[in-house]
Amino acid sequence: MTPRERVVKFLNGEPVDRPPVFSGMGNVIRPVLDKYGIVFSRVHRDPAAMAKAAAGMYKDFGFECAVVPFDLAVEAEAIGSVVNYYDDVDSLLYPTIKEKCVKTIDDIKIPADLSKAGRIPVVCEAIRLLRKELGDEVAIGTYILGPFTLMGQLKELDELLEESFIEPEKTNEMLTMASDVIIKVLKLYHDAGADYLTVREMGATSDVMSPNSFRSLVKPHLQRIHAAIPRPNILHICGNTNYIIKDMHECGANAVSVDHKNCVPESRQKLGDKAIILSGFDPVKVLMQGKPGKIGPAAREMIPGASAVWPGCDIWPEIPGENMRELVGALKE
Amino acid sequence: MKLVQVAGYLGSGKTTLILSLVKELATRGRKVAVLVNDVGEVPVDGQVMEKYGLTVKDIGGGCICCQVAGNMRATLNNLARNQKPDIVIIEPTGMAVPSAIRDGATIDPKFDSLNHGPTIVLFDTTRAEKFLTYETLERLVNTQLKDADIVALSKTDSASPEKVEYARSGVLKINPKARIVMLATKTGEGVPELAAAALGEGV
Ligand SMILES: Nc1nc2c(ncn2[C@@H]2O[C@H](COP(=O)(O)OP(=O)(O)OP(=O)(O)O)[C@@H](O)[C@H]2O)c(=O)[nH]1
Ligand SMILES: [Mg+2]
Repeated sequence: MTPRERVVKFLNGEPVDRPPVFSGMGNVIRPVLDKYGIVFSRVHRDPAAMAKAAAGMYKDFGFECAVVPFDLAVEAEAIGSVVNYYDDVDSLLYPTIKEKCVKTIDDIKIPADLSKAGRIPVVCEAIRLLRKELGDEVAIGTYILGPFTLMGQLKELDELLEESFIEPEKTNEMLTMASDVIIKVLKLYHDAGADYLTVREMGATSDVMSPNSFRSLVKPHLQRIHAAIPRPNILHICGNTNYIIKDMHECGANAVSVDHKNCVPESRQKLGDKAIILSGFDPVKVLMQGKPGKIGPAAREMIPGASAVWPGCDIWPEIPGENMRELVGALKE
Repeated sequence: MKLVQVAGYLGSGKTTLILSLVKELATRGRKVAVLVNDVGEVPVDGQVMEKYGLTVKDIGGGCICCQVAGNMRATLNNLARNQKPDIVIIEPTGMAVPSAIRDGATIDPKFDSLNHGPTIVLFDTTRAEKFLTYETLERLVNTQLKDADIVALSKTDSASPEKVEYARSGVLKINPKARIVMLATKTGEGVPELAAAALGEGV
């Protein structure tokens, strides 16, 4: 079974020899960047570098996927938010939104042709290059922000939440616009060759959003998205998500992904045997702060109740290569 | 380097308090850096902020995701290496989970050690009823109050004593262990007490 078959079959609920060792979120690490002479602040705008860096996680570390992009600003930038890439900062920093482009709904201007907007063509090209370089062997993954989280890259989320009390229809309309973008962009990524898609709605974590708000404000949009986008796909929300785990499941993704703050055995109990639950380990504690010999055991602690274990968030690039190797080895066992 | 967090809902008075705290701590001879979400409002060199990525808000919502936490760590490392402040005050977004920020904040021991000061959560007494009764806000308010070492009941200058008392008892129901400070940054009430707490001094 190739890594690609393993990932795709696993997500489709078909039998596999063992759960795949992969991620649906950003993963690129310093040893790979250094090996190919890639500068992190540039990688986000250079499809060839992006593809090389992503492929390196498979070729050099045996991670069974290649995922692009690496940052969380692609869609917001395509809609008009201004991104800081930290070009002249020595230390590695992720791009962030420097200027949010939306105050009111009238400010939202969706480009007519998203395939040419911002860095969406960069990500599409990186996916095509990955397919060329890796052939059918490795699963190519990509991700996008969920509608609520994406809106938070366009305007302040606390304002959005506040407005949703006063003018719920307006908020709903904004989330519909964000969802339209998500659906279109994921289709572009799929057409470029992506094998699986992750929707990351981390802004709607039940640590801050009441389950009822999630149900009324966010869930209908996620349901529409997962019904419209290519499969297999995954819905990820972080925090203690057991409050809404059934709702997450009902959003219609092939798999739900949660992070280490969520008790997975409880999720399993709530969702039954069939649901595919990806249990996220804490990439900071396990991979970055973990000492050699402790990384495998720490990641394996997340297995009970899970269909597979994967990073519950992006992997911070500044981790030692040995840590990554230990992780992959331990999870393949 | 010591880390003090000033969290609380949108418009609860965080930036106003931080400005006063910076002044108060400066007169006590402390060098203070601020990581804030409204870059413009704070008298810290905007370009330095931009350059080092001194924002902690970029991904909204409660999940301070790994990218944001990583940028925050890189920023703290930069501060420890270059400006070497005694105290760093963080103002996260109004939807942040204070414990997630606290957990995410570390410094490379090569540069300095990080000392966790109090997590101060502002509770706007003028909107007490909304925060204590809206079902939609329950998770957010509970999460933030439970993560607080100190709850500062803010804007007490604009709320009736009954309202302030209503806020105080409501807050204590959610977090009985929190230390409560009456705060009216506009009149200065409570600021010296919070500055002392930030320094780790008793009342
Ligand atoms: N009456 C009164 N108003 C205050 C006090 N402190 C702040 N305010 C007002 O409350 C509003 C919000 O203050 P900010 O300091 O910007 O609040 P914030 O929490 O930083 O707001 P965001 O960053 O937008 O979430 C402003 O209009 C302030 O003038 C106070 O002690 N008393
Ligand atoms: Mg502020």
